[in-house]
Amino acid sequence: MSEAAAIAAPARARVRSGAWLAPAMIVLCSLAAYCVAAAATHQTGQISVDGFVGLIQRTVALGIVALGQTLAILVGSIDLSVATLVSVGAVMASWMMQGQPDMMVPASLFVLALSALVGVANGLIVTQLRVNPLIATLGVGLVLQGILSASFQDFAGSVPKEFQIFAYGTVGPVTLSILLMFALALVEWLALSRTRFGAHVYATGGNPEGARLAGIKTARVVVLAHMLCSLAAGLTGLYLASRLRSGAPWVGRDGVYDLESIAVVVIGGTVLAGGKGGVWGTMSGVILFGCLDAIFTMAGVDAFIKQVLRGAIVVAAVAAYAYRTKGHVA
Amino acid sequence: MGAGLSMAEAAPRFEMRGIRRTFPGVVALDDVSFSCAAGEVHALCGENGAGKSTLIKVLGGVHQPDAGTILLDGKPVRLNHPLEARRHGISIIHQELSLLPERSVADNIYVGREPGRLGLLDRAAMRAGAETWLRRFGCRFGADAVAGSLSIAEQQVVEIAKALVFNARILVMDEPTAALDETETERLLALVRQLRAEGVAIVFISHRMRHLFAVADTITVLKDGKLVGTRPRGATSPEEIVRMMVGRELKDYYPARRARAPGAPVLTVAGGGNEWIEGIGFELYPGEIVAVAGLEGSGKAALGRAIFGAAPFSRGQMVVGGQAVRPNTPLDAIRLGIGYVSDDRKAEGLALRQSVLENALLAMRGIAAIFSRPGRTAPRGRGIDQLLREVDVRAAGYDQQIRLLSGGNQQKTVLARWLALAPRILVCAEPTRGIDVAAKAAIYRLLRAYADSGKAVLTITSDLPEAIGIADRLLVMHEGRLAGELPAGATEEDVVALAAGHQFEAAPA
Repeated sequence: MSEAAAIAAPARARVRSGAWLAPAMIVLCSLAAYCVAAAATHQTGQISVDGFVGLIQRTVALGIVALGQTLAILVGSIDLSVATLVSVGAVMASWMMQGQPDMMVPASLFVLALSALVGVANGLIVTQLRVNPLIATLGVGLVLQGILSASFQDFAGSVPKEFQIFAYGTVGPVTLSILLMFALALVEWLALSRTRFGAHVYATGGNPEGARLAGIKTARVVVLAHMLCSLAAGLTGLYLASRLRSGAPWVGRDGVYDLESIAVVVIGGTVLAGGKGGVWGTMSGVILFGCLDAIFTMAGVDAFIKQVLRGAIVVAAVAAYAYRTKGHVA
Repeated sequence: MGAGLSMAEAAPRFEMRGIRRTFPGVVALDDVSFSCAAGEVHALCGENGAGKSTLIKVLGGVHQPDAGTILLDGKPVRLNHPLEARRHGISIIHQELSLLPERSVADNIYVGREPGRLGLLDRAAMRAGAETWLRRFGCRFGADAVAGSLSIAEQQVVEIAKALVFNARILVMDEPTAALDETETERLLALVRQLRAEGVAIVFISHRMRHLFAVADTITVLKDGKLVGTRPRGATSPEEIVRMMVGRELKDYYPARRARAPGAPVLTVAGGGNEWIEGIGFELYPGEIVAVAGLEGSGKAALGRAIFGAAPFSRGQMVVGGQAVRPNTPLDAIRLGIGYVSDDRKAEGLALRQSVLENALLAMRGIAAIFSRPGRTAPRGRGIDQLLREVDVRAAGYDQQIRLLSGGNQQKTVLARWLALAPRILVCAEPTRGIDVAAKAAIYRLLRAYADSGKAVLTITSDLPEAIGIADRLLVMHEGRLAGELPAGATEEDVVALAAGHQFEAAPA
């Protein structure tokens, strides 16, 4: 028996593959269900380019927030302040613009800068004060919501017509905002898979102490992830202001962007503990939720039942991933 | 200038002089000096808590010394961050492997120093570089393999590649053989010798004398944060090193066996098998310690888990105390009087943030009625406090969090947890993994005393001298089957021959 043969364990090392498989399956099944539902309710008009564009359009806000949330969760953190930050972004944008086109750029920049600041604050509270991210971001969210609700009771100001191009402008049949969402997803995917920053995100989420000992400045990675997550939320606020023509202090809360963004990230196979998952999983979760909404609207079923089904899907998805992982490990 | 250069050449690769480091309430290191030359393997040993880890962390830039200097190639340096140590060519392989289980081997090897430009990764270079290392180490897995799917030994090789990839000139290995079986250990030691020949300065920390003496050029012993002495390998002996470590002679390291009266077996397994093991048949008698030996992946761990119902037998028969049984969960097994000390103390053995007492009470609470209030009083009127004293758990108090205790005291607590239930069969997987010499001897005495009280002990161990030293009989496993049984007094060669499957090759001849 040669030495090499004595050492070699049976060839059972698993190679990472099929990272696309689960997201692709989720998207296909969702779209199939959507088509079946459209056919069954005699709304075949929905199975068209316009129908699909409308379908995706309704997921843009959740999609952009979830792209940010993916980063926060991948580094092993989480962000519960996104919903409030969406409201802050929407209100601040429309209040500062007051219908004036020349305020569009300053207001947008202000909203993004403020969001980045909130994200850095989240990141610093988590990494420097060592507050559990759930509590840290919940606290920051409550503080922001309190200030916002005290300062604004209703829709504040309005956005100029030009700013509505952001939500309603089109390139061919597709809207600008849909393109923006997919462009962001593409950039984030490239950043995660092809850059050093991405490698550090996975390392930090997968094994914080190991990453630190490998010389990675993990605190910086976490702060940066939180900053990008909050920027995504602020951007979503701008989008909602553009779409609703004004911002109100409840738009984020009404969208339940905090919990829903976490839900779609998890449905997409990203592990809550961090270090595993990715962008396309999240996007598939977003599309799944979008299709569910559309199906229930077409069927005219009570919104509460939709809520029940969403909850069941989140739990089932996590259970399915857990089962699959266990099968591999054993 | 020329003189300076030759000075640098003569200087050790690194030298630590008069290092002192304190933590609140503890002097972890007191005036410790330690050095290692290029192409030298310098072993560092000492009991747990002797200061080895702290010394290594000072060298690795994790801790800063309160006093003392570190010289690299004769020049004083300050190492304020692991990254700085890394830049100076110092790599540390920690005892707890720090791999990312979900990422590929290539990702792991290059973590923290990914090749590429402008922040963009050069994946091709990563894969090619990783493949080069893996080939050099004779690995069968590829750079794309997911790290978590590799065996411990394979993961260790990935760790070494990870350390070397940045041209490590100083390599510190903290207990690299702790989780390896004999063959894998041989392979690792060969790799260490190869690196030494290439001029790497290697610090090798281990509890296992045989491994130290197989590879080290120099051996340094720490005790209670102080330097006991440094000896060239040729000028010392395992006995002397152990004496230096514990500060006294270790008498009766392995407790004496006592002749037992043959009786009915307490456990019989016939044709037992599941996903990992096949055709297992053996008997276990009251009063004896039986050790199960075998290579990593031979199924010895699976056997222990099968008996305890954690990964139950799906085929065959199991008889406990004369009754055919089939424990499908640990709870079933506990009710049958089977106890199990896990080989993964931190993950499966302990509730780290709970107290010593809570941990000791865990098994008792597991079988207690759900609304009962099991206090400190164990069955049979013996208090759990008394039991903890008997097994000699040393803690500031039994209310102390168990994670603050040494591995030896943690393991004694786990043992006390099972002794409280007095199971007729105690299965111990790697009962002395990662604990110091004195604690090992104490565990051996406890297991022997338990067997002498009429119970049966089945230990599953990768430490060959340990298996031979404590067992009345040895079962050797190979590729999921029992390869043979050996009596007490078997030699390591006998065991290795069976474990490597030699008798199968010899049989047809």
